[in-house]
Amino acid sequence: MPPVVERLYSKEVVRRERFALIVGAAALLLTACGTSNNAGTSPSTGAPIVFGAAVSLTGAQSKEGGLTKQGYDMWLDWINQRGGIVVNNVKHPVQIKYEDDQSEANLSATLVQKLITDEKAQFILGPYGSAATATDAIVAEKDGIPMVEGNGAAQAIFNKGYKYTFGVLSPANKYLTGVLDMAATLSPKPATLAMLTANDNFSVEVAKAVEEYAPTKGIQVVFSKQYPAAAPDVSGLLSQAKAMNPDIVMNSGHLAEAIAINKAAKQLGVNAKIFAYSVGPSTPDFISALGPDANYVYDGSQWTPQVKYQPSFYLSVSDYVKAYQQKFGASAPPDYHVAESTAACLAFEKAIENAGSLDPGKVRDALAGLNVMTFFGQIKFDNRGINIYKPMVVEQIQNGVHYTVYPAAVANGKPLYPTPAWSTR
Amino acid sequence: MSQFTQQVILGLLLGGIYVAVALGFSLVWGVLNIVNLAHGALIMVGSYITWTLFARLHVDPFLSLPLDAIALFVIGYALQRGIINRVIRAPLLFTFLLTFGLNLVIVSLLLLLFTADFRSVTTTYSGAGLHLGSVVIPYIRLGGLLVALVLAGILWLILNRTRIGAGILAVGADRDAAQLVGIDLRHLYALTFAIGAAFAGVAGGIISTFQSITPTAGDPYTLQSFAVVILGGLGRVSATIVGGLAFGLIEVLGQSAPGLGSGYANAIAFVVLVLVLIVRPRGLLGRLA
Repeated sequence: MPPVVERLYSKEVVRRERFALIVGAAALLLTACGTSNNAGTSPSTGAPIVFGAAVSLTGAQSKEGGLTKQGYDMWLDWINQRGGIVVNNVKHPVQIKYEDDQSEANLSATLVQKLITDEKAQFILGPYGSAATATDAIVAEKDGIPMVEGNGAAQAIFNKGYKYTFGVLSPANKYLTGVLDMAATLSPKPATLAMLTANDNFSVEVAKAVEEYAPTKGIQVVFSKQYPAAAPDVSGLLSQAKAMNPDIVMNSGHLAEAIAINKAAKQLGVNAKIFAYSVGPSTPDFISALGPDANYVYDGSQWTPQVKYQPSFYLSVSDYVKAYQQKFGASAPPDYHVAESTAACLAFEKAIENAGSLDPGKVRDALAGLNVMTFFGQIKFDNRGINIYKPMVVEQIQNGVHYTVYPAAVANGKPLYPTPAWSTR
Repeated sequence: MSQFTQQVILGLLLGGIYVAVALGFSLVWGVLNIVNLAHGALIMVGSYITWTLFARLHVDPFLSLPLDAIALFVIGYALQRGIINRVIRAPLLFTFLLTFGLNLVIVSLLLLLFTADFRSVTTTYSGAGLHLGSVVIPYIRLGGLLVALVLAGILWLILNRTRIGAGILAVGADRDAAQLVGIDLRHLYALTFAIGAAFAGVAGGIISTFQSITPTAGDPYTLQSFAVVILGGLGRVSATIVGGLAFGLIEVLGQSAPGLGSGYANAIAFVVLVLVLIVRPRGLLGRLA
């Protein structure tokens, strides 16, 4: 380590805000002296960069929260194996401090505040779910700390003019419209659609987009009703939908309701040509809970292990899947919750490198201007901070295995259509 | 018309689940004066036993119900004898705190044992049902309702035809007098809680067949039990049956109420609950004094 830098490091009391400036100045000084900073010298090691994340490790969303944490830890291992994020030729190892929001969105904001003030988190990785993300965004904005998130797709988060919140995932209105695009290419073309919607922000947004988009594809919405989110039983609604004899049955809700609806559809003999659920079928749990009854179900997915993106850094899609299975001893590939969480970290990594600084304002500006291709797809934010540039893909479960069936350019299977009647399966 | 019939049938079938869920809750509340906030967690223990037997040994979910009952009986007895009995005479707030804590502990244990993965019991006959014209009665749901009624019958028999039942009713009426005539309170409390837990276990077994289960999936059922008991009235088996079936009907019919968003189904159910509290504060069937 060059003496100038060494002397600076001995002063451990240097305040964090000043720290980045000093390292930058030191690097400039070194360049001016012509001693170093040329190719061939390895970067020196700087102070760790602290990320904070309040995810749901207990409570109703502990499953999804756990997947979110897995996604963050995937990147954490990878980046620290490489010595950390390079800022002006200094490698900063990375720490992620976790808090458990107990699946309470209200608690999430308090914990993020704690992460920033007590745990000295310099950057925030998002929580699980739109509700928690919306409350965390307020704290990030107030404190001027950038937050990148991969698990809050409700546009309500991004329509408030926040400057410090960025979402790497496709917004809610794209979730099921891909299924409609696909439906329009099928023969015989489905003509009618029934929509069952949980009454939370995110699910309502997904459903609204479908209802606006379906008529443009020549599909008529013949039934649309909401149910209270997390309702254990929706068979009453489904039997009403059945009376309309729809070609497409869609659910905009969550994993538990998707399972309940699929079970009730079989019990009540609802025979649609397409069953498509916004959240749920992409998880291994959907298949293990339903067995063969999970077959033929479609979902819109942020990402699948089959997509064919060519990343400019980090792992390729297949290497990512392998690394995940190795790290967590899983036989199933990671689902999109894991991938989008890792993608949030990748956005931070590139933005910090591009900013060449740990200053929150500079990193924010670098995030706003980011445009990279990753295993998760393109990451680029519109002026609201949400990634409208990455498409959603359509998956179908065939013989207990997920196949990406649309769009054809990234697909590894063809849709099995129409879905056979329950009595003939 | 057939649409309405279908809704009523689905409402009654859902009500059957609520009956099964609330029987044990009502018993424990009525006799021990404990609002058991760990009731939902005990239900999930039953769900996981049924699921484990089904997934590992392919035991039919309805055959594993007696095992749920036995396992939860033992757990319930131990919980009451070892822990809850210590605060049984303390103010209500203490039993609230204690059972709330127990709920957290049990849910966390389930998380450790089974993780937060969504599970469900899907049998080969899960989709079969009785087709009457355009009206469908799913067998699994019908089985759930029948089990609930059998449970109610068993509870009635225990309370009205056995010495233990007489003891339970005596303690419910006046615990000091019951103690004076030689009833072992600690044992009887534990027995009552054990019976309540056993019923919760059976309800959990049924629940695992039609919805997905996670360690926290039992929480809403604590609330539903509470509503059912308020609606029907405390301390009588018939009141729980009426309350449970009524609550199921209100929920399902609330979903199809014209002019109102079906998203308000819960709100409708609880508005009815408040109305009942105003008009008949002791529940539809009243309360045994």
